[in-house]
Amino acid sequence: MSSEIKKTPVLKISGLTKNYNDAPDSRNIIESLDLDVPDGEFLCILGPSGCGKTTLIRCIAGFEDYTGTIEVDKKKVSKPAIDRIMVFQDFNQLFPWKTVEKNIQYPLKKNGTTDKEKLKAIAKEHLDLVGLTEYKDFYPHQLSGGMKQRVAIAKGLALKPKIILMDEPFASLDAMTRNRLQAELLNIKQKENVTVIFITHNIQEAIVLGNRILLMSKNGKIKLDVKNQIQKPVTPASEGYGDMWKLFNEALQSELDQKA
Amino acid sequence: MKAATRQIIFVICFIIAWQIIYSMKAFPEILFPSVTSIFEALKEGFAADDLMSMVFYSLSLILKGMLIGIILAFIFSSFAVVNRVFYDIYNLIVSIMDLIPGVALLPLAILWFGIGEITIIFIMIHSILWPMSRSIIDGFSSVSPIYIESGENIGLKGLGLVLGVYLPAAFTHVLTGLRVGWARAWRGLISVEMIFGTTGSGAGIGWYIYMRRAHIDIAGVLATLLVIILIGVIVEYGIFRTVEKNTVRKWGMVR
Repeated sequence: MSSEIKKTPVLKISGLTKNYNDAPDSRNIIESLDLDVPDGEFLCILGPSGCGKTTLIRCIAGFEDYTGTIEVDKKKVSKPAIDRIMVFQDFNQLFPWKTVEKNIQYPLKKNGTTDKEKLKAIAKEHLDLVGLTEYKDFYPHQLSGGMKQRVAIAKGLALKPKIILMDEPFASLDAMTRNRLQAELLNIKQKENVTVIFITHNIQEAIVLGNRILLMSKNGKIKLDVKNQIQKPVTPASEGYGDMWKLFNEALQSELDQKA
Repeated sequence: MKAATRQIIFVICFIIAWQIIYSMKAFPEILFPSVTSIFEALKEGFAADDLMSMVFYSLSLILKGMLIGIILAFIFSSFAVVNRVFYDIYNLIVSIMDLIPGVALLPLAILWFGIGEITIIFIMIHSILWPMSRSIIDGFSSVSPIYIESGENIGLKGLGLVLGVYLPAAFTHVLTGLRVGWARAWRGLISVEMIFGTTGSGAGIGWYIYMRRAHIDIAGVLATLLVIILIGVIVEYGIFRTVEKNTVRKWGMVR
């Protein structure tokens, strides 16, 4: 890590409770959850299906109403905004009616950047970052799933958000593409000091990417909160990888056993 | 282009067959004119009777009606997407009004607006508004939530979200609405003009074909039909297909 991580929390969550209230007996998906995320952190959130990790990230993004407080830079989150950009799992999150370049430029234009040259430069810079410079005039349907996810990340970064929220963005990719995108994402993370919150159900992915890993339990609480100090790039041969993997695997297994 | 070649050969064969039947004198000439006299009538229509300005007059009425109808459809449908109560009521209105053929409203329109442009435009609006509304509402409500959330995430809301996300995302539906609306308006217009023609006002293409009949000018009637077909072809291939090719097809939203 080039720069020391500052300790001011960019995201502060306290007493977060979320219930969709969509059935008479609907339970709290998230229950009085507290979480501080310092600026520049790469936080991975693991958890079994239905533990509320997606709900948590959607609350942070502003797509859901909630009780409790979520503050980004001391400002309460009430609706979606460009300081928190979401990257979804679905490949079809780019606007199909815009080219790759326009997909990146459109959000900027809508947020006050109108200078053509500047827009061009920003789009180029971020397409360079994800290695898709020569695809700028392609339409999304002409790209592979991995390329679409790269563009979605580039689009998010171009907006210079405080936090990038990633909801299993690589889960639908094949293993090889997935590994490459993980490496690229780490690379990008080192260049741009953005805070990343990354949802995954893949322990290996969490260890490879995160410098802090949370495990959420079925009742919407944080079960494990671990600093990941394994030297990057992480491989299964890295020192401490096995212990870390075992720790999360056992915790995850016990969660799954409870359900059955 | 093989299909096009086959189709052109068919058309040529059809014209030749027509001419052969004509020269066999199987039908009286007054009911079955020669190919040349049809084209003569076509030429005369454009040269002497100012058919061209009638065509443009008809098209201008459709255009006015469609424009108003489209705008109204967008306003109402956008409200319907935002407001549940309005959606329920508007849905009912669209379902009912969609069942009424434009010509069936003509007696009412004549009593309300008299015989003239306003009545025709009224019928045109009726022809486009309901199918267009139906398509827009269906299109808007089937827009993938991920596009809407992506739009909200980058700060779009209200009209910005409708124009920036809903409209392009639902464009396939919008085009369908336009096609159906145009077809109804075009058919409705010719019927209405014919009815007006008998009372002596509204000089459009419908009136022209009706007058040809009154003069027992069968070549003129067939020539006008050719013009009507031609306009249909131009609108479908020249406008709709071009728009489709440069939008939803290019975007990979239809194959």
